[in-house]
Amino acid sequence: MEATHDVLVVGAGCAGMRAAIEAYDAGANVAVISKLHPTRSHSGAAEGGINAALGNAAEDSPEIHAFDTVKGSDYLGDQDAIEIFTREAPGDIYQLEHWGAFFSRMVDGRLAQRPFGAAGSPRTVFAADITGHVLIQVLYEQLVKRDITVYEEYFAWKLVENDGRCQGVICWDLLNGGIKVVGGKTTILATGGQGRIYRTTTNAYACTGDGAAMALRMGLPLKDMEFMQFHPTTLYPTGILLTEGCRGEGAYLINSEGERFMKTYAPNAMELASRDVVSRAEQTEIDAGRGINGSVMLDMRHLGAERIIERLPGSRELSMTFAGLDPIYDPIPVRPGAHYHMGGIETDNDGATELTGLYAAGEVACVSVHGANRLGGNSLMETITFGRRSGRAAAEWALSNTTIDVPRSAEADAERDLRGLLDVTEGERPWQIRNDLGTSMLDNFGVFRREEQMAKQIEIIGELRERYARGVIVEDKGEVFNSDLVQAIELGNMIDLAACMLQAGIARKESRGAHARPYDYPTRDDENFMKHSITRWVGDGPVLSYKDVRYTKYDPMERKY
Amino acid sequence: MQVGLKVWRFNSRTGERELQEYEIAAPEEATLLDCLDIVKDQHDGTLAYRKSCRMMICGSCGMRMDGAAVLACKTRMYDIAQAGHVPVISAMGNLPIVKDLVVDMEPFWDKFKSVDPFLQPGYEEPPDGKEYRIGQARMNVIHKEALCINCGCCVSECNSMEADPRFLGPQALAKAMRFVGDPRDGNKIARLEKLNGEHGIWECTRCYMCTERCPKGVDPRDAIAKLGAESMHEGIDRDMGAKHAKWFVVSAKTTGWLRETELVPKTQGVISAIKQTRFALDLALKGKVPPPFPPHVAKNVKESRRLHDLTTQQGPKGYMGIVQGERALGKLAHGHTAEDETLAEIYARPGAFTRPFIAGEELEAPVFLEKPPER
Ligand SMILES: Cc1cc2nc3c(=O)[nH]c(=O)nc-3n(C[C@H](O)[C@H](O)[C@H](O)COP(=O)(O)OP(=O)(O)OC[C@H]3O[C@@H](n4cnc5c(N)ncnc54)[C@H](O)[C@@H]3O)c2cc1C
Ligand code: SF4
Ligand code: SF4
Ligand code: FES
Repeated sequence: MEATHDVLVVGAGCAGMRAAIEAYDAGANVAVISKLHPTRSHSGAAEGGINAALGNAAEDSPEIHAFDTVKGSDYLGDQDAIEIFTREAPGDIYQLEHWGAFFSRMVDGRLAQRPFGAAGSPRTVFAADITGHVLIQVLYEQLVKRDITVYEEYFAWKLVENDGRCQGVICWDLLNGGIKVVGGKTTILATGGQGRIYRTTTNAYACTGDGAAMALRMGLPLKDMEFMQFHPTTLYPTGILLTEGCRGEGAYLINSEGERFMKTYAPNAMELASRDVVSRAEQTEIDAGRGINGSVMLDMRHLGAERIIERLPGSRELSMTFAGLDPIYDPIPVRPGAHYHMGGIETDNDGATELTGLYAAGEVACVSVHGANRLGGNSLMETITFGRRSGRAAAEWALSNTTIDVPRSAEADAERDLRGLLDVTEGERPWQIRNDLGTSMLDNFGVFRREEQMAKQIEIIGELRERYARGVIVEDKGEVFNSDLVQAIELGNMIDLAACMLQAGIARKESRGAHARPYDYPTRDDENFMKHSITRWVGDGPVLSYKDVRYTKYDPMERKY
Repeated sequence: MQVGLKVWRFNSRTGERELQEYEIAAPEEATLLDCLDIVKDQHDGTLAYRKSCRMMICGSCGMRMDGAAVLACKTRMYDIAQAGHVPVISAMGNLPIVKDLVVDMEPFWDKFKSVDPFLQPGYEEPPDGKEYRIGQARMNVIHKEALCINCGCCVSECNSMEADPRFLGPQALAKAMRFVGDPRDGNKIARLEKLNGEHGIWECTRCYMCTERCPKGVDPRDAIAKLGAESMHEGIDRDMGAKHAKWFVVSAKTTGWLRETELVPKTQGVISAIKQTRFALDLALKGKVPPPFPPHVAKNVKESRRLHDLTTQQGPKGYMGIVQGERALGKLAHGHTAEDETLAEIYARPGAFTRPFIAGEELEAPVFLEKPPER
């Protein structure tokens, strides 16, 4: 074994770093494991902002924030968790500011807040269009200040369970090679999202759902796996996000007939309707043959060069670099892309999972604050608030004198599995399976879900699992920076998670939040489906059950904006 | 489109090095990173490079193309491929190579850590538990420095680091400026003292390669200039570099031109100047050094003196002076030369750039910090 620690945090995005800092401050010996250097985590790509009811820009309160969040979740969010979340969010923001976060401000020196979709008050704290970058920097600075151990470029592969507790993590050391076992009295999974299951996604290459897959293999329950949020303006063909700010500044969405089609779907809000509404409108247009190359056009030309250069420099740079088009002169092709996964490892309000000693926080976890649909700006806040709570809980548990015992067999098993992966000489390269998975998920389990397509996709995933099980060839057999090996493992994780998503999706016979079935179940069915879907891996496949939503005082009503 | 790439492969274990050529088919919108992905997936799974966000924010994919550091995900291949050019791709410079295009970033992070890259608050937390109150204009002073994504492109190209690998380098210094310029920080003097030490700010040769190669517009050389100005403003001027800069000013003010013969004793001290006498004599013999006596005075020395007086009068010293200088340059760049128009008015014009901090306006953009520093 490499070393042992009180608290092991897997993942160094906003959630992981916040958890590590809190556990350290609670007196624990902490280490962070991450397959990327902390500042490379995808939290850094968030542009828009982070929600807390500070009330700086207008009257606001945690209660209003909670109401918006419950309603936004389409009543699938756990209301007690949401109340904790909105109550503790402001304190967490002040804390970040005291640590030095470079947030944007108002003339009077207080933190500025901007309006965001489906929020009753302008409550999104931001830093120009680099909010995530600023958060990642300030958290890493605090990590450095505390001199917290970071196992950089360690790929976490398996969890070690012994004596009914999670006692450590088995990793592949990317930089130097070799299996490394790190022991921990408690482990916090903070590995982020799984958008890479889809071919068009705003997520980074590293967002492959590793933590959720590791938990799944331990027999732990995943929650609400069918809910994947699609963002309406991702760049064709890469899926890189163009911020909602473009539409905020007045950009139009145009179909192949040159029409501002949003007038049919949201005559009042037009392009500024909520994310799911706009994504569905776009998909309807594309499906009806009014798209161009499978996209619609985001037209900013009428805003004029000055406004585009001044207000949307980031979006212009992204369009020019990744589509080769300048929004001053050209409409930009966009389409809905997988953006945020609401589901994840089921946890309580302190991040604890079913397995003693194992916690989860951030996008990989499902507390659930976001229910069936996340509001923009709530996920960064969740990483901070629940990262902190799980860090505290894990440290307290670890400091109550538990010992660590990682059986030797764990490492030997991992070595054997590793040889199994590297020794494959016949079969296909992983990229073909990865492309097939991404394309088919987008076609059959995207913005709209149809019974037949979901059934077909379940078959496709079955075939992909078989192809993967037959063996994929890892060409790089070396020790040093073997990313070929890591990518093969990630693919296996994604296929299994996709299977869970489909099973929960086809069983949810209603339309709620991001799960839209306009052709057979167009409405929400609170009587039968106001419950979380719970997925466990049993034997060779996922098994589904349900669990009630935790309710305090917000009665379901129709979600109209 | 067809894309050709020549990639320097490297194996640190065996020390083998090889320039390998690849010819691939890629979509027209492909970036260098997309092309490397195609190589890795379909041609050669052993190729190693770092990547994650593919949207120029994570800082993973720094590497060299034809000898200059770039972000692979920011580099479009269309024009290069159309021109029939086959670029040479190699690992970044000034950092040890681990494998192919992957460098060991540890020296980079060690330097980052050595500048105490975290806020050391100089003020009590506000009694209401809320945020420190600071106007946006005041924070804009360190906006550029806050954009850094730690990609290492600047370090890769830094000339001084090539000569002295222990030089703190552009990234760490830009990070240092981010805290020196933060009004919430209370440790400016100690920070500057440290940065004025060996391998510190004065080792920079002002070659501007860092500023040239930075993909995010951080402008590290500018940050270093601000650190230098602030150090001298605070009286931290024992370094040769600081003396050198001061002598420039004196020299320009008195004779309106640079007196090289006096420069050496003034900055390096008399003893070390004597050691250089031979070198100086060689130069003099070749006619490269004007005789020191009588001092040559520039014809328009009055102008030079006026310029000196003007900058002194303007008030702000240290990095604020440079910030103000930048604004003035911005004013020129915009063609706003009307004498009666204030900077504030210019930035209020429609279509003007985002309004930056204007030093003279500090009072208008209040800094509400609850208590003075306890020192
Ligand atoms: C383009 C974009 C814009 C967004 N904008 C906003 C916004 O404006 N507001 C908002 O609230 N939300 C936004 N979101 C969502 C939000 O950014 C994410 O949900 C959130 O940052 C996730 O944080 P995290 O800490 O859970 O995960 P991440 O930041 O993704 O971090 C995951 C960490 O886990 C590590 N890791 C993963 N797998 C392994 C493994 N196997 N072994 C070791 N380490 C591993 C990674 O190295 C990384 O350090 C946006 C998302 C995207 C993609
Ligand atoms: S200007 Fe200075 S810091 Fe920048 S590259 Fe040149 S020597 Fe290095
Ligand atoms: S200063 Fe620029 S080039 Fe240097 S590390 Fe930061 S972003 Fe990269
Ligand atoms: S891949 Fe993130 S900066 Fe290039």
